[in-house]
Amino acid sequence: MASDLRFLVVDDFSTMRRIVRNLLKEIGYTNSDEAEDGAAALQKLQNGHFDFVISDINMPNMNGFQLLGEIQKIDKLKKLPVLMVTAEARKEDIVLAAQKGAAGFIVKPFTKATLEDKLNLIMGKYGMKPAT
Amino acid sequence: MMDSASASPAAADPGPDIHHSIGALTRQLHDALQALGLTDKFRGLAGELPDAKTRLSYISRLTGEAAEKVLNRVDLAKADHEQVLAASQLLGQRLQAGGPAAPTTPELLAFLASVEASTRRADEHLTEIMMAQDFHDLTGQVIAKVVLLAANVEEQLVQLLIQTAPAETAPKPPAPAGDAALPYEPALSGPAMNPQGNPDVVSGQSEVDDLLASLGF
Repeated sequence: MASDLRFLVVDDFSTMRRIVRNLLKEIGYTNSDEAEDGAAALQKLQNGHFDFVISDINMPNMNGFQLLGEIQKIDKLKKLPVLMVTAEARKEDIVLAAQKGAAGFIVKPFTKATLEDKLNLIMGKYGMKPAT
Repeated sequence: MMDSASASPAAADPGPDIHHSIGALTRQLHDALQALGLTDKFRGLAGELPDAKTRLSYISRLTGEAAEKVLNRVDLAKADHEQVLAASQLLGQRLQAGGPAAPTTPELLAFLASVEASTRRADEHLTEIMMAQDFHDLTGQVIAKVVLLAANVEEQLVQLLIQTAPAETAPKPPAPAGDAALPYEPALSGPAMNPQGNPDVVSGQSEVDDLLASLGF
């Protein structure tokens, strides 16, 4: 069953934004928007309602770590789950993401099954109802 | 390109002292670079060039793998479609013929089930073809780094040219470009190109999960 949860997909590569949004649709999340970097994402998050953020790390203007930091500073956003989907493979970056409050970490290239597993896991932790 | 002087018969026979002259020039260049304090910069750039080679090989490998993946999935999907086409043509002929040749209800149901299964498989193939396009993101990040390296080399060479050319022929430094022309410099390390044997990076999602679990996340 499709879910009403609203996603924001943040990545500087339009190909990857399309891939992630298409995968979300296949999994059952049809309500999504996108932003090309952390700064644009932050603006959308402040001006609209989103239930879940899927973000890259390495982006111009404001990277994923900075976006995480900004989200943590804003009361209405700090409980928003942020799943990092990134090519950054350094262990210290993975640990840093977790320390900064990321709800999960997926390393590119990834599969639809990995994305679905992580979404279900995170939604379980945050008391959200996943698509079935 | 050769100029007219170097293409002349005299130039073709440079004489016995040519190696000595080249050696002296090399020494002069070395001393000049040393005096200009540029050797360290060039040493740094030289160190980055093998890294650029690794990055270009990574791009070549990833684009090759993506193309293979897409072509393999297209082959599978086409084979599936050919089977469905052949089966539906046969059923159509039998329906038209009627009488004892007409397909039975169980046969029709079996055909519909096979169409459904084939459609599901086609959908999986399309998803995999879509996923194969992620090479654009990964290679794009690596290309950005190589472009940055090329820009650094160019800048250093221009600087060398400016500082070593005779005053009357010295080229003017290039006008500073606007912000929009500056290459995007990725702030982080990007994809791991050779994760095997490198303890600082992960080679896949299972290592990410293990790492985070070991830290209690």
